This record gives sequence, structure tokens and C-alpha cells, in this order.
Amino acid sequence: MAEKSDIHLYTTQTPNGIKVSIVLEELGLTYKACGHDTTQIEFSKNTQKEPWFLEINPNGRIPALTDTFEDGKTIRLFESASIMQYLVDRYDKDHKISYPYGSREYWEVNNWLFWQMGGLGPMQGQLNHFNRYAPEKIEYGINRYKNETRRLYRTMDTALASSSSGYLVGDRATIADFSCWGWVAAAAMAGVDINEFPALKQWRDRLLERPGLEKGRHVPSPHRALEQEKLTDEEIEKQAEKNRAWVQAGMKNDAK
Amino acid sequence: MATNPPEPIRVWLTPPGPNSWKVIFLLEELGLNYVIKSFSFENVKKKPFTDINPNGRVPAIEDPNTDLTLWESGAIYQYLIKTYDTKRQLSHDAHKERHLESQWLHFQMSGQGPYYGQCGWFQHLHAEKIQSAIGRYANEIKRVISVLEGVLAAKDADKQWLVGDKMTYADMAFVPWNFRLAEVLNQSWDEVWDGAPRVRAWHEGMVGLPSWKRSMEIRARLMDEQGLQWNGVPKGVETFDQYEKDIAARAAAGEKK
Repeated sequence: MAEKSDIHLYTTQTPNGIKVSIVLEELGLTYKACGHDTTQIEFSKNTQKEPWFLEINPNGRIPALTDTFEDGKTIRLFESASIMQYLVDRYDKDHKISYPYGSREYWEVNNWLFWQMGGLGPMQGQLNHFNRYAPEKIEYGINRYKNETRRLYRTMDTALASSSSGYLVGDRATIADFSCWGWVAAAAMAGVDINEFPALKQWRDRLLERPGLEKGRHVPSPHRALEQEKLTDEEIEKQAEKNRAWVQAGMKNDAK
Repeated sequence: MATNPPEPIRVWLTPPGPNSWKVIFLLEELGLNYVIKSFSFENVKKKPFTDINPNGRVPAIEDPNTDLTLWESGAIYQYLIKTYDTKRQLSHDAHKERHLESQWLHFQMSGQGPYYGQCGWFQHLHAEKIQSAIGRYANEIKRVISVLEGVLAAKDADKQWLVGDKMTYADMAFVPWNFRLAEVLNQSWDEVWDGAPRVRAWHEGMVGLPSWKRSMEIRARLMDEQGLQWNGVPKGVETFDQYEKDIAARAAAGEKK
């Protein structure tokens, strides 16, 4: 049973953002997300660097979340995995998508959660940078991060192929799976061919059948990453072009 | 004192990189019973280690007391704290603080580690000097430091810690990479901390702890065993510059083949 909550999610349509909306939907929680509320985060307008948002996340990144805590005061949280840990710890009392705190499976979920946060996310992110957004094409940078992303996909593919449930840990889909899903769904954008990793592709598509994931992936705007699979690399490149200008402007701003 | 396990926790590591020392630092600070399984970096993606960590990265631990194998330094941190920091020396009991500690640990894992690591790679280990890549990661490091500086600046002078009013594992997690900053950025220690006096004081306070000093003594011994100097450069090679030239020469020789 979902507890009464007062959750505000600050997000945008990215692999890190949809992790949190997917978990919120999987748990059946009510929440306000930007796009459904006045708290609109627009990367292209640099909303995430405005003082009111830095109050919530001093790191100026999405996702971030506020909630009324058990003591009646507001709690502010940032870093997607920390938010997911908070949500299941507080609201997933029936362990629908998590395991009891301190159990073997709890710690094994943590392996993959940190693996995604420290490995898959940053490395696929660097690949997107060198492949799509960097001011100059540096072949070495593209290859370095493409190889590492493929190695990480392979690690996950091997683990899923030998898992009897088809999920990363135990007998159910958990925050470990939801944490990775948005990144794997964005393989085409990164220029990685998902067909190289059959168990991973099957896992990606099987999770799509879950109503919670299906609803959560479209927050705050429609999720289009999977559609890119049908496009040619040139067409994806063209889409990325629109974002290149503000990505580079943001880099200049950060360097100040 | 923390609750001490009767059987030593086994820590698998290769000595040069920073992440394993994060775990040793915590074990030393809690005074836990542990034993190190040191091996060569060349074997990190081979069996038997990949049976312990399918991702082929250090550190990993095996805890015979609970029959649990874990990898990813952040996951190991949360496990050790929950299981053995029963007196809450390095963590808080309260639910709220527990989540805030976890938040900073994830920031360290996703925001500090990967970017420092990429900067070090492009600065030193990659044969060709790509200025835009070095600049990208150096800027990101400065940004991470400025976020920490802002957070410490907003706290009272006697509470210069990320969560609450004492050092927690969330603070400790940042030490091993910050310890390598002069090398990563290729700058003097003063230049590294320019504009971030609070982060500097926070960091220098922690590296002054006996637990960190012991960790670094162990590292020095294990590096020595493998014929490596403190910075990962093989013995007999005088400077990092020379090492870089050797790497470049090897890369050039490889290209010719």
C-alpha cells in the first residue's frame, strides 16, 4: 500500500530523469512533476542553474526531489540512485521492486545500482559527448567510450543471460533494473547496436510490458529513445544537432 | 568501537588505483578485522577475479561472516556501515541523515570518481595530448570542488562535514581521489585548492587521520611488492614525464606492427 506523500519531482526527459518517474509509477505514488506543475526545468534555458533549484540540488543537475519527511519538514534529495533508495525504503513496504534493508539481495541490488551510477551512466554519457556534442570530432574519444560502453553492456548481458528470473537480482525487477533501463533504451543515440546483446535486448523489451515503467518513461514528456533505433545514424545526428548549441554553451558556463 | 567480525573480511585489490583505498580507509577507521588479497592489475579482467566481480574492477570484498560477496566501492561502503558501524561512529541513526549520506556517496561515485579518472587518463596515460578532452575533465573537477565549497560555506565553522556535525563515511569517500588531485590536474597543491579553502581544510583534516596514514603505508608496501613507485610508475623510471615517453614510444611501436 502506498503511503500518503507530498512528492515534487524536478526532472526532464533523460535516462537519469525517467529512473525516478518509473519508480514513482511502479509504486503507484502520487507526485507532481515538472510539466504537470509550475516547476519546469528547461535545460536550454538553464533553469537547473537558477538559485531556487540550487537550493534543492547544489550540484545543479536533474533529477531532484522534495518530500515532506516523517518529521513534518521538507527533505531535499538529489542523485537519481539516492532518490530511488529513498523511495523504496520509505514507500515500498511490500518489497514489490526492492528487498528488505540489510538482506543479501538488498546488497546485491546495490552492486548494480552503484555500477550504473559510477560506470554505465558516466561512460555512456561521455560517449554521447564525444560522439554527438563535442565541438570537434575526436576519433580516439569516441572509440574509448564506445568500447567501454560496449564492455559494460556485455557485463550486463552476461549477468542477465545466466539469471533464472531474467532480472539483475533475485526473482523480481528492482531499482537496479530501472536504474539501467533508460540508458540501455538510449543505445541507438549512443551509436551502440543493441542486437549485439540479445539477453539485454530481451530484458529491455520485457520491462516495457510493465504498466508502471510504460507510464513513468514518458515523464515529463514522451520518451522517444526507442524510436531512434529505426533511424539512420545521419538522422540521429541531425536530431542531436539541435542540442549541440546549448550543451556547448553550458560547458562554457561551467568553466567560468 | 564497531562490532568486529570474528572472521577477517577479504578485500581484493590492485594497489595503484584510488577506489580500493576508500574501502581500506573505512576498515581502518572502524578498526575492523580484514585481510588484503593484493594482485596485479593485469589480472583484473581474468578469472578467478571475474568470478568475484563480473565487471572486472577493484575493489571487491568477501565477508565470510555473512557469506556475502560484494563489488563497487559505494555498495561496499553502505554494507560495512550498516553491518559493522553499530555504534554510529561514522554514520547517523536518523532516517533523514541516512538518506543524505547516501546522496553524497552517490554524488562521489557518479560525479567525482568518473571525472577525476577520465582527467587522469587524458592528462597522463593517453599518449596523445588532446587539450579539449583534458580541459573538459579539468573543468568538471573544478566544478565538483566548487559545489563542495558552496555546501561547506553554508555550514557553521564547527560543522564542516557534508551531513550533520561529524565526519561520516560520506566525507571519507571523497578522500582517495582528492588525495591524487595534484597529479590528476598536473598542478601544485596550492593551485589545486585555489578558491576552495574550506574543501582544502576538510580534505587535509581527513588525510591527517592515523587511519588514512596507515592505509597509505599499506599501499606503499603493496606497490613496492609489485615493483611500482607511489604514483604507479614502475621502479627504475625516474619521472612521470619519462613514463609518458615510454608509453608513447610503446604506442608508436605498436602502431608500426
